[in-house]
Amino acid sequence: MNEILLITLAALATAGRVLGLILISIVTGWFLAYAAIKGKIFENIYISIIEVFESVPVISFFPIVLIIFVTRIGGPLGVEMAADFLVFTAVVWNIWMGEYQAFKTVPREMLEVAENYQMSFFTKMRRIFIPFSYPRIAANLFPSVSDGFFYITVSEVFSVGVHTYQTFGIGTVLDSLAASDKTGLIYMALLILAFVIIIIILGLREFSRYAVSRYTVDTDAPIIRRGRLNVKQTTRLLSVVARNPLSRLAGYYRSRVMSRPPEVFEKREMRREKISRYSSIAIGFTILGLIIYSSTDLIISVSHNEWNHLFSITPKILLYLLYDYARVGVILALSFVIAIFLGYYLAMHSRAEGIGVPIIQTLSAYPPPIYFPFIFGASFTAIHSVLGPFTDEFYVLALGFVSTFYYIFYSFWMGVKALPSEYFEVMKNLNMGYFRRMRSIILPGTFPYLISGISSTINSAWGGLMIGEYWPDIIPGRNLSVHYGLMKFIDIETNVGNIAMAAWGSFLFGIVVAIYSIIFTRRMMDLARKRYVAEEGVFAA
Amino acid sequence: MDEDLIKDNAMQRARAAQYVLSAVGIDFSYENGYKVFEDVNIDVGQNEFVAIVGPSGIGKSTLLRILGGFLKPDKGAVYLFGKQIKRPTPDIILIHQSIVTFPWLTALENVMLSLKVRNVSDEEAEKAARNALETVGLQGFEDLYPKEMSGGMRQRVAIARALAASPLVFLMDEPFAHLDELTAEGLRQDIYNILFSPDTPLKGVVLVSHNLTEVVELADEIYVLNNVPATVVGKVHVDLPRPRNPRSEEFNQILDALYNYLTPPKVRKI
Ligand SMILES: Nc1ncnc2c1ncn2[C@@H]1O[C@H](COP(=O)(O)OP(=O)(O)OP(=O)(O)O)[C@@H](O)[C@H]1O
Ligand SMILES: [Mg+2]
Repeated sequence: MNEILLITLAALATAGRVLGLILISIVTGWFLAYAAIKGKIFENIYISIIEVFESVPVISFFPIVLIIFVTRIGGPLGVEMAADFLVFTAVVWNIWMGEYQAFKTVPREMLEVAENYQMSFFTKMRRIFIPFSYPRIAANLFPSVSDGFFYITVSEVFSVGVHTYQTFGIGTVLDSLAASDKTGLIYMALLILAFVIIIIILGLREFSRYAVSRYTVDTDAPIIRRGRLNVKQTTRLLSVVARNPLSRLAGYYRSRVMSRPPEVFEKREMRREKISRYSSIAIGFTILGLIIYSSTDLIISVSHNEWNHLFSITPKILLYLLYDYARVGVILALSFVIAIFLGYYLAMHSRAEGIGVPIIQTLSAYPPPIYFPFIFGASFTAIHSVLGPFTDEFYVLALGFVSTFYYIFYSFWMGVKALPSEYFEVMKNLNMGYFRRMRSIILPGTFPYLISGISSTINSAWGGLMIGEYWPDIIPGRNLSVHYGLMKFIDIETNVGNIAMAAWGSFLFGIVVAIYSIIFTRRMMDLARKRYVAEEGVFAA
Repeated sequence: MDEDLIKDNAMQRARAAQYVLSAVGIDFSYENGYKVFEDVNIDVGQNEFVAIVGPSGIGKSTLLRILGGFLKPDKGAVYLFGKQIKRPTPDIILIHQSIVTFPWLTALENVMLSLKVRNVSDEEAEKAARNALETVGLQGFEDLYPKEMSGGMRQRVAIARALAASPLVFLMDEPFAHLDELTAEGLRQDIYNILFSPDTPLKGVVLVSHNLTEVVELADEIYVLNNVPATVVGKVHVDLPRPRNPRSEEFNQILDALYNYLTPPKVRKI
């Protein structure tokens, strides 16, 4: 009985950490967003930072965490802060971005009213900006909760060299239960965590429904046009949008494109984009530089010989990275295919959708690092007899898949829901077959959503790989481990206490990923914005 | 009882077979329980241009969707040459109230969309699409994307796409509502000839509009919808030679007749 109480407390502690950090993100985001809409320079820097960090997987922060919090601050406080910091970096970016978008799209008329009444800063915030940001916050809570749970359970317990650091939470409790082989209690813990997560998801759904019906201004929603939807449908569609856990893009590019007034601004806008692109590249490098800088004493303490060693090992690291990109590719392809079939099916069948989507939402928040060992244990013998030497590779890919599939699924599903209803009528009218619909209409029409889904999927796939590629004692007496992989390399170096090597690996990793995301993701987004905005295909006065 | 019903249906079908499109005894309610129609009957004869008018929100767009098989009536049926319509078909093409184009496809590709459905070869499809674009006066603009076009041009693309599907019936929902008056007038003058030119297989048109002058200018037969739930409260036959002169006396007599049906509006607000 005592133990069940302990488990419940631990689950609540974990949930409290995630929710508390999200709350901190929300509150800080309000002030930062306000500063951003008031100052051009700050705005450019702020947005660039968010964009870069959003695309850098959380694990690249790991060495910095170790160095600053564990080594420098140390003690229980340092460990607690390390766990919190990791989760914070997982939850904060899309919330900050969402709030910025909301502040940026407050209708001019409202602002004029505020000026007219000479409202003070706090009144303006309380009466206008903050309420206006609720729907977008609601939309961004789902992915943040999922991300937060994913990382908190792994950051509650970690070991560096001979030291194991831990802070109280469900991750720690499960770890010790597994170590003492208390299977019954483990299942109980999983159940209790599931219960807590379901409550949170239900709460979030309620909140987003409320936020949407209460705080959404019509101009905020370009998919709603006069004469096409009645009020009931309007709220339904909006709640779809708000419910979506990954509306990073939806809102983002809406704020950039939809509310764009006349073409006169085009030129200035282009210059702004250019500036922001350069500055974001610059900032990306600066931040990566800071990561290195923060480990100055580490670098200084690294001897000449060791530096030579680091450099000599670099080609190998890049090769490992290539392996990992291949894994990410496989995970992405699989997620993509399933997301498209399942997402389209659910979007077209409202009854299946009503059951399927909440289930998927709950699953997406339930952290794979927690339940995966049990799936592994239950299926290992069977899988091994079929796949033989590829068994471990299979499990790593599977873990990557369950960590990441939801993102692309949601993005696509939401994209389909946001397609103008006229498109569906044209498809029916012309008697288009399934593949024709997909190729000519659905995929191009959801392209911007797919891009955002793909980039989030890639980001979280790294998290899955980090955990899966090297997992000692995933079940008692068995390790999960791949032959080659950068994530495994970093894991092992961290584990044996070779922080210099781990930091070097994640530094190289961070650079490649940031460059990739700036070049690839941005280019695709630009393309998407230029041509693939389905809402613009229907012309209504 | 059953036999009666079967006989009834058989008679309905036999009667409907004389028409291009025939809607018989249509009742319809939306899922929220709002009853839009009660016993609505519409017939479209060979090469007939039928117009439907009525106050805003009365159910004109809904009726077109029923005629096209997009919505199922609760009671009654829609027949195309005596064959019951149960789902949308390329034989009956709907042109939307809002102009629908696909921004990632050029004008030509937008039009080819409806040809590929018919399983023709790529070259043939392209040729037919170019033809359709020419018919609506867009030759030379084949490679433009919708965003690079004016509203009127986009609507022409939508009409060309509809034409290219070679339908038997056109359902047009306020096709000129989003165009400026000059463009609208130009298209209006063209549309009749485009639609009933000898090289289209088109047999009938249903146009929804709240612009009464437009309707008298174009239609052979005008149905007036009114009341909640809506019924056909009047039917006006227009037997004027084309092109019609909106300033002529006959024209204005017909206009007056229409106004009489529409006022006083017996629309209850719900
Ligand atoms: N999906 C829906 N669910 C419930 N009611 C609807 C729905 N769509 C339309 N309605 C209602 O049905 C009625 C008819 O709508 P419809 O769009 O057919 O009108 P309309 O005559 O085309 O109007 P307008 O001239 O403004 O285009 C309206 O009262 C509308 O509120
Ligand atoms: Mg209408």
